[in-house]
Amino acid sequence: MFNPDINDYQLTSIITECCGGVAVVYSALYKPNNQNVAIKRYFVDKTKENASLIQQDILTRKELQHVNILPYLTSFVHGRELYVVSPLMTFGSCRDILDRYFQEGLPELACAIVLRDVLQALQYLHKQLYIHRSVRASHVLVGANGGVRLSGLRSAASLMVRGRRQRHLHQLPPPDGDNTNLMWLSPELLEQNLKGYDEKSDIYSLGVLCCELANGAVPFAEVPTTLMFTEKVRGSRPQLLDCSTFPEPCLDDSEMKSMYNTDSGVGDSADAVSRLRQVYAGRKLSDTFHHLSEMALQRDPDKRPSATQLLNHPFFKQIRKTDYLPGLIGRVKPIKPDLDDMSALLLQEKLSEMEIEKTTEWDF
Amino acid sequence: MDPRMCRKISSSESLPDADNVEYEVSNIIAPQESDDNFMLDGSPEPHSVTWLDNDQIDELDLNLDQTNLCFHRVDSADIIYRSKKKKCKMVGKYVMGDVLGEGSYGKVKEMLDSESLCRRAVKILKKRKLRRIPNGEQNVQREIQLLRILRHKNVIELVDVMYNDEKQKMYLVMEFCVGVLQDMLEGSPGKKFPQRQAHDYFTQLLDGLEYLHGQGVVHKDIKPGNLLLTLDQTLKITDFGVAEALDMFSPEDTCYTGQGSPAFQPPEIANGAEQFSGVKVDIWSSGVTLYNMTTGRYPFEGDNVYRLLESIGRGEPAPPPPSLGPTLGLLLTNMLKRDPDLRPTVHEIRRHSWVQARPPLEPGERMVTPRSRRSDELHTSTVIPYLVERHYPSAQEYFTERDYRHELGDGGSRTLSTAELSDAESSRRKRRWHSSCGRLPSCRLT
Repeated sequence: MFNPDINDYQLTSIITECCGGVAVVYSALYKPNNQNVAIKRYFVDKTKENASLIQQDILTRKELQHVNILPYLTSFVHGRELYVVSPLMTFGSCRDILDRYFQEGLPELACAIVLRDVLQALQYLHKQLYIHRSVRASHVLVGANGGVRLSGLRSAASLMVRGRRQRHLHQLPPPDGDNTNLMWLSPELLEQNLKGYDEKSDIYSLGVLCCELANGAVPFAEVPTTLMFTEKVRGSRPQLLDCSTFPEPCLDDSEMKSMYNTDSGVGDSADAVSRLRQVYAGRKLSDTFHHLSEMALQRDPDKRPSATQLLNHPFFKQIRKTDYLPGLIGRVKPIKPDLDDMSALLLQEKLSEMEIEKTTEWDF
Repeated sequence: MDPRMCRKISSSESLPDADNVEYEVSNIIAPQESDDNFMLDGSPEPHSVTWLDNDQIDELDLNLDQTNLCFHRVDSADIIYRSKKKKCKMVGKYVMGDVLGEGSYGKVKEMLDSESLCRRAVKILKKRKLRRIPNGEQNVQREIQLLRILRHKNVIELVDVMYNDEKQKMYLVMEFCVGVLQDMLEGSPGKKFPQRQAHDYFTQLLDGLEYLHGQGVVHKDIKPGNLLLTLDQTLKITDFGVAEALDMFSPEDTCYTGQGSPAFQPPEIANGAEQFSGVKVDIWSSGVTLYNMTTGRYPFEGDNVYRLLESIGRGEPAPPPPSLGPTLGLLLTNMLKRDPDLRPTVHEIRRHSWVQARPPLEPGERMVTPRSRRSDELHTSTVIPYLVERHYPSAQEYFTERDYRHELGDGGSRTLSTAELSDAESSRRKRRWHSSCGRLPSCRLT
């Protein structure tokens, strides 16, 4: 059990800012048993509507328990902020891993392990009549022992509406500030017509995740949102990039750069781009991987396999019992509690100031 | 009954004046001397019909040389159509789509938020038209003020308000809805819903009314024409043009003006009472709405507005048909009591046994689905063709009617969903769209 009391936690460093700037994730030490945890700190006042989303997130996570879904430990309010405690996922999100260590994408076997675990989470969610609606690398977290857990349940939706089981949903997921979440969403979800969408929408997002993990870049990034929409509606599918699908001769470097968002901001970005092109053109991903992503990215949701069917896909046969995810992504440094982290220390000071305020409060 | 009686008393029927109506004269079919292929703008879809007014028809007649009038027989395969250009237009961050409906104040169009990709509807108000409607500008101001405060799942959400001073237009951006109950009723057998469906809408109406009355707002114009449905069948109360915010500090709900639609007005307004309970007006109108949804008729009829109001004023509604069953009949009779004090409150209606128990769908009854202006029963976004025009400028293509029929399949009238179109093994499709995939190397067409 974890106590819902700020005094039992020592914040050690900032992991990331998220949810469009309304929340910050810290690593922290739970003092009673010296266990590392992650604490998400929400600034509830920033927008009113977010409060119900956070509530939704917590309620959903309380209800759902699966080895591949980020568990909820406890939550509490301190000052004007809401704190939600989860286990610390030491290697961070797959998006962080891609950005920092694998710009050209994860090794295929690592992709297989991650995708299998995400599919297991989806299989469970769909059985519980939930649609996740934000399957993306930033919501796939890797723990110290290589365990993969799906987070981001704030945009999940239940097919049980007003006590009745719905076949389809029609609403877009809640907006995420900068609308990046749309890139992973299925064409039928974005279309918002009377047909609606069901859990197969998550399978499409898993297909986009395949490309994201393998290519390093998110398909449709840097393309106008409306073009991404029409491309999906017209049935064009993102692809895994290797010698069989890339390079396309018509592309010049500047176009390439804008398509793949590979501009790292460093001066030699052109070099980085051509290096990336060479990596794509010089590698070969397995046919089963291509097949898996193609199956998942089919335009017609009824043709897409279910999570259960995909788990039996030959692509996953390459995983052996001895395969260990942290070994495959050896370059990645785990998030270490860093006591010298200035910002965390500053925050700690701020918190202690608040405690002083509390003790000197006038008592009538 | 004259459909005008279901509209507001105040809104005078404005006739379209010539300079105000936009005509498309691009696809007039004129006989030609040459036997080459005819070029026609617009695909042969039913909705691309061009309407000409009398003047234009006269002009056409004049242009025809009577002596040389002859018609060439042209094989339909030789007629080449050009897909109609959908010029993409942006207002703020929104991409405009097709017209969803039209009112005396202006048009309602579909829009797409280009950032969130959320479908929206926009009410376009023209200042010039608004001035001609009694209380027009005042009603719009009131509607905006009220909608800005109100937030409930059964009340239409005002998302954004934009002004264009140059064009003298105002844009009220709202949640997207697929249909109006009024239109659905008109298109259904017997102009009524199965009780199961009416029950679903009525309970949502009660939820919305309870919220409104709790917020001190009286709608005063509840009727099927002001009840919309979203994609997921959520009912939305709309049109707050004649609604009134009650005095927060007054224990009474006294109102002095009634501008609602005649057929839904209570006796106290029909009799010209100077003041009346606002909440009980909504109860009455909801009663008439329920009566209408379940029977396809109105409790009061009249050949004209005066006869109708006279009949309402007497307060003797046509008794609900026995086929409705005793519980619903009793509920309707109670809601349509002449004396406002005898009408039940929202809470009392909620506890009524007809509301408590969801009626089953009787054998032979079918749920009524929202009608579509086009032949698209899925109500797919009408913005997509405009976006296609914008992003794939070369997408425009010439095609013959035979191609078109072929594309539609043998029946020629079936609507293909976009999903079917793109998954279909149609090489022609591929060619037409090929220009797009060259730009996105990470994508390929199915």
